[in-house]
Amino acid sequence: MTQAWLSLLHWRAALRDPGLRLLIAAVLVAVAALSSVAFFADRVERALVEQGAALLAADLVVEHPEPIPQAWRDQAERLGLRQARSLGFPSVIIIDERPLLVQVKAVEPPYPLHGRLQVDTPAGRVERPPALGTAWLEGRLRDRLAATIGVSEVELGELRLRAAGTLIDEPDRGGNLFRLAPRLMVHYDDAVRSGLLGPASRVRYGLMLAGDAKQVDRMRAWLADRLSPGSGLVGFENARPELRVALDRARRFLSLAALCASLLAGVAILLATRRYVDRALDGAAVLRTLGMSARAVLHWHLGQLLAVVLVATLLGSLLGLLGQQGLVALLGNWFGDTLPAPGPRPMLVGLLFGLSLAVGFALPTLLRIGRVPPLRVLRREMAAPGLKTWLVWLLAGAVFFGLMVWQVQDLRLAAWMALALLVALVVLTLAGWLLLRLLSPMRRAGGSAALGLAALVRYPHLTLLQLSGFGLGITLLLLLTVVRIDIVDTWQRSLPETAPNHFLINLQPEERTDFAAMLEARDVPNSGLHAMTRARLVAIGDRAVLPEAYTNTRARRLAAREFNLGFGAEMQADNQIEAGRWWSDTAPAAPEFSVEQGIADTLGIQLGDTLTFDVAGQRVEAPVTSLRSVAWDSFNVNFFVVGSPAAAADLPVTYLTSFYLEQATQGLTVDIVRAFPAVSVIDVRPIMHQVREIMERGARAVEMVFLFTLIAAGLVTIAAAQVSRDERAREVAVMRTLGASRRRLLAAVLAEFGLLGLLGGGLAALLASASGYLIAVELFGLPGRVSAETWWFGVVAGTLVVALVGWLATRRLLNVPPIRVLNAG
Amino acid sequence: MPDGTVLDILSPIDLQVNAGEVVAILGPSGSGKSTLLGLLAGLDQPTAGRVTLLGHDLGQMDEDARAALRAGRVGFVFQSFQLLPGMTALENVALPLQIGRRPGAREEAAALLREVGLGERLSHLPRQLSGGEQQRVALARAFAGDPAVLFADEPTGNLDADSGRRITDLLFALRDRVGSSLLLVTHDQQLARRCDRVLQIDAGRLQEAA
Repeated sequence: MTQAWLSLLHWRAALRDPGLRLLIAAVLVAVAALSSVAFFADRVERALVEQGAALLAADLVVEHPEPIPQAWRDQAERLGLRQARSLGFPSVIIIDERPLLVQVKAVEPPYPLHGRLQVDTPAGRVERPPALGTAWLEGRLRDRLAATIGVSEVELGELRLRAAGTLIDEPDRGGNLFRLAPRLMVHYDDAVRSGLLGPASRVRYGLMLAGDAKQVDRMRAWLADRLSPGSGLVGFENARPELRVALDRARRFLSLAALCASLLAGVAILLATRRYVDRALDGAAVLRTLGMSARAVLHWHLGQLLAVVLVATLLGSLLGLLGQQGLVALLGNWFGDTLPAPGPRPMLVGLLFGLSLAVGFALPTLLRIGRVPPLRVLRREMAAPGLKTWLVWLLAGAVFFGLMVWQVQDLRLAAWMALALLVALVVLTLAGWLLLRLLSPMRRAGGSAALGLAALVRYPHLTLLQLSGFGLGITLLLLLTVVRIDIVDTWQRSLPETAPNHFLINLQPEERTDFAAMLEARDVPNSGLHAMTRARLVAIGDRAVLPEAYTNTRARRLAAREFNLGFGAEMQADNQIEAGRWWSDTAPAAPEFSVEQGIADTLGIQLGDTLTFDVAGQRVEAPVTSLRSVAWDSFNVNFFVVGSPAAAADLPVTYLTSFYLEQATQGLTVDIVRAFPAVSVIDVRPIMHQVREIMERGARAVEMVFLFTLIAAGLVTIAAAQVSRDERAREVAVMRTLGASRRRLLAAVLAEFGLLGLLGGGLAALLASASGYLIAVELFGLPGRVSAETWWFGVVAGTLVVALVGWLATRRLLNVPPIRVLNAG
Repeated sequence: MPDGTVLDILSPIDLQVNAGEVVAILGPSGSGKSTLLGLLAGLDQPTAGRVTLLGHDLGQMDEDARAALRAGRVGFVFQSFQLLPGMTALENVALPLQIGRRPGAREEAAALLREVGLGERLSHLPRQLSGGEQQRVALARAFAGDPAVLFADEPTGNLDADSGRRITDLLFALRDRVGSSLLLVTHDQQLARRCDRVLQIDAGRLQEAA
């Protein structure tokens, strides 16, 4: 029987050690936080993998900004592939005088080539696309416009279609996160006849292909040379890239939240191990006298540590399994209606994480046990030499950084996060140290509070550790709750009452006069008509703009796609020139471009560069004469790139505007859509509402993970209190022997921890307010504000919670007869 | 010493304890009793001189070898009992037997505890026992495995007179049954008088007591 097995034989004895119990709790919390995120991500990932081709409704989809060339379809035919055309675009429809922005999807048989389309019709469930002259309505669209299936008529551009069925499921629908507008499914030919597929309609065409894998590969190879920059091929291996990106982001941020809990849990593990080792040294010396070698004694304790970490990891994983249900409830339908059950991988991730955390935070301290001299049984002052404290912390920090990189899969993000945590910890430690210095004269005062304060000052490093743990936990919670709500409220208040709430696009030049007259007649405040066209940036100076030349995702996207190119003589009121001059000040007759500063940075555009755009095969070239900053949140019409009127000469342009409609004038939308069928009116209020809901749910999910952070902060306080427990026990025993009542000692404990909570909460409020102020001013350009709620919550909740935790951690000391403590030496 | 000076704790000592012999070392606090005990038991190493235990020169052995020598053949009783706080009385007594890989360790430990009068307290933790009871558990642990040598450091030092007397009786009864050599350090004259030989240590010098 090895010594490690012998130690397992005494597992009950090990579990009686408070340090080891605390270590179990800390590992459990860290693993639970992380595995709840891992389980959730695993379920979404499995959904993406398991549904494979069904997520695409085909084996291969060709995406194209223009109608699919006949030659492509002929080639697919020659290769024996099944095929179906599709297209999608946003548009406003009207049902019974009620307008709504929808996402139109037009398909033709035999769509879907994979997966099942499910539609409820008055005649029962069907699995085919809509027939000509009919439309399938998503349930929320039917309900929003109170449509009656089989009876209501849908006005789509120049067409009137019968609402013939309720769309239950479409294989390539994705999750709700990307479905701001509800779905209307129509026949492909109806969409073509609707008159809505103009140059500014944002239509995307698709050709779905399915068949023998080799033939699909041949088609893919054949298409490779024929695709234009705005086109793309999507196979099941890269199906739903937006879902993958969203999953990646969700996992990354939730993992960061979980890592905050893990960091605090790690600190608790470190402290708990210190307590465990301090208590175990005497026993280890006894084991040495009983004939155990130093290595065997170390193995004994390593065996116990390994066993408890395994148990804690298992329990933490089970808790994580429960926790992920909360995440699924909040975020699950972003990624589809049903998620498969999680696989075993997150358990393995949790196990590795728990073990790594234990190795990084517990092992360096535990090594002391192997160095205990047996003579300690006779001379208790014989110490076991250990690693230097700074080395222990450095090793723990290095392991934690490694875990961060592993979990967020992004060295830069992990480094920034580590830096932010380090800065917060340094600020908390320095501020705590300063406050302790300032408060130390109070030690001389009488009363219970002074007793408590004296304890804080007596163990300054523990006090600072507790302060840091609690301060960090409360800061993160405050930022996510009070400060976040405050910033959103400030942003909403910063918008004027009559900020535009509708956008109108695709107005033809010949319709301008009638449209302006209609708005004027109804007295609708608007931002004026702005000319625009869809254009693709093809060159900056002599340099061709190619997506693969950029590493930044946004830059690649901008380089690959068409975007809106605006034109105007005057600069928008909410724009500001950052460099160069606006053309109205110089030579209005020359073609010039003004570029928004952010996009200029992203694409590497300098003042004076010559930009070349491709507008439906026509080239337009002009120098950049100004760089602008734009207040995007003003809801006015704004463009990344604006050309002077001279640049628009001979280009096919359409017009857009934004305007404010009160509830009472909603009927105007119907009139506009009827009078100008090609235009799309976008009501941004429901979109804003949905964006806010997405933000709220995302934030609630992060908050949920942060609950683990709060628990971990509590564990740090308990662990820190336990490290000094033996000294405290002796102090309490001596004080009680000298006549201090339990009540007075209780008051001192409450004062000590209450003061700790007051400082921790106050510093957290300070950090959260400062961070919130910086975020509001620097990131969102909002007026900075410090809310009283942040301070109330931080200070009051901090004081109460820490006092409670401290009392729970030390109350048993007050119940132990003093003689027992004093006799124990 | 921190200033570089060398402090002699023990003067040259020549001591031989025969098999089965019971020797007491008497001396005041700080006289070097515990240091001597530590050296004789192989818990510490002398800066000069030679210690032989059970025929083995401890100076020629490394710490692991000295530990292996102690396993099952050397027992200890301490003033502060030194029971493992998380283990029950039974587990504490069974421990040296398990370390020595003796079969039936728990049964043998239970029998020993019954012999010291704690048959009803097998599953009690040390903190649930009185000082006298804790020392009885420590005695049972020390005699588990029938050690050839037993070292005792102030075995009654933490007990009242009555409990101390009973522990002394028990210690000698167990020693008589097992036949171990017993070397104990104490400042209790009555306890010393029950030993075969009494040595006096003062300021590190050892001599036969008058």
